[in-house]
Amino acid sequence: MQKKFEIKDLITVGVFTALYFVLTFIVACLGFIPIFMAIMPLIAPILVGIPLMLYFSKIKHFGMVLITSVIIAILMFVTGHPYPIFIFCIGAGLLTELVLFLGKYESIKCCVIGSSTFSLWILGMTIAFFFSFRESYLASLVDGYGQEYVDKMMSYTPTWMFFAMIAMCLVGGLIGGLLGAGVLKKHFKKAGMV
Amino acid sequence: MDIGLQLTTEKTGLKIDPRTKIMILITVGIIMMSGKLTGVEYILRIICTFVPFVLLLSVRQFKSAFGYLFILLCVELCEGFIVPKTQGVLNLVIMIICGIISRFGPSYLCGWYVVKSTSVSEFVTAMDKMYFPKVITIPMSVMFRYFPTLKEEYASIHDAMKMRGIGKTVKNPFVYIEYILVPIMMSTVQIANDLSAASLTKGLGAHKKRTHICNVRMKAFDVMLIVALIAMLVIFFIF
Repeated sequence: MQKKFEIKDLITVGVFTALYFVLTFIVACLGFIPIFMAIMPLIAPILVGIPLMLYFSKIKHFGMVLITSVIIAILMFVTGHPYPIFIFCIGAGLLTELVLFLGKYESIKCCVIGSSTFSLWILGMTIAFFFSFRESYLASLVDGYGQEYVDKMMSYTPTWMFFAMIAMCLVGGLIGGLLGAGVLKKHFKKAGMV
Repeated sequence: MDIGLQLTTEKTGLKIDPRTKIMILITVGIIMMSGKLTGVEYILRIICTFVPFVLLLSVRQFKSAFGYLFILLCVELCEGFIVPKTQGVLNLVIMIICGIISRFGPSYLCGWYVVKSTSVSEFVTAMDKMYFPKVITIPMSVMFRYFPTLKEEYASIHDAMKMRGIGKTVKNPFVYIEYILVPIMMSTVQIANDLSAASLTKGLGAHKKRTHICNVRMKAFDVMLIVALIAMLVIFFIF
């Protein structure tokens, strides 16, 4: 296990965060269609889990995942998501750091679990539909999108949905991680890139 | 619009400080993403619609500027006047299409403008002046450089697949994703290696304070712009 933080690590963070962000953003755009909004926490981690596993395989010490999560939080905030995104992103980042640390940054099992815990940050995008944010957010949507759209959204997001979304994130991340591990084994081990 | 190279300095007529650009990006993002369609906020949205237009004009992208303005005005008018009058599924469909365009369009173009008109060294200098830690600025500047590359990579993978006649014959979405993602991931690893070699030669790895050669300064125009943007945000949050 390397201790030092090198410039190479920062560049790896940048490149993979870019890839991760673009993929997430593509899926998040689908979130405008009400039904996709409800299952987005399941689809997004499956798709992004694949590059995430390659990223995790490059990580050798503490801090890189945390930086990724902070950058994603900043970018998401700039593109107009409410502030709780910071709490969720940084929380998920720290949790993933812990999981990877327990696997000594080598174990594939821990990487898969890490991919599942890291995808929890997606909850930060959907938190506006739940708890104390719900009333004011939906009220603001009525003006922006019309009653019809809001009714659809409301019917897809009762409060228990939030807990279902936690499960979706975890399961999606797990599937994504396993897929990623498969892809790594199939393509990258052979080429000697991992 | 060509995404590849940086615009040269003589092409960017209007010089804005990178910090001001980031402020523009945040303001447009917040207002367009969560703006309502009534009262003061509708006016703010219309103003924000014009921001990317002016920015595109300032880098002489006339065609895309006017194309953008036409589409966005259509969408805005649609949202303002047609949507409240329709019902049911039609309402939902128009709503979603207009919603995606009007919410992401301006932010996307502002982002495009910022990436195109700011050189990486300008960006790093500006962030340094705001005392952003290095661990955030370096990955971010790498991302700036990498977004256009990602688009190019995707285009060339698409071409390669077409040439071999794969592309449309792949029915299984998972296989298709694999065909696209794996080469992109391969090139990502390669680019990361290249970039770190390049940055080592530029002395990014040295543990000393770096000096900057490019001139990044707030001018009176920047201050005016920032005051205007903050005023817009304040109005937006109060009403």
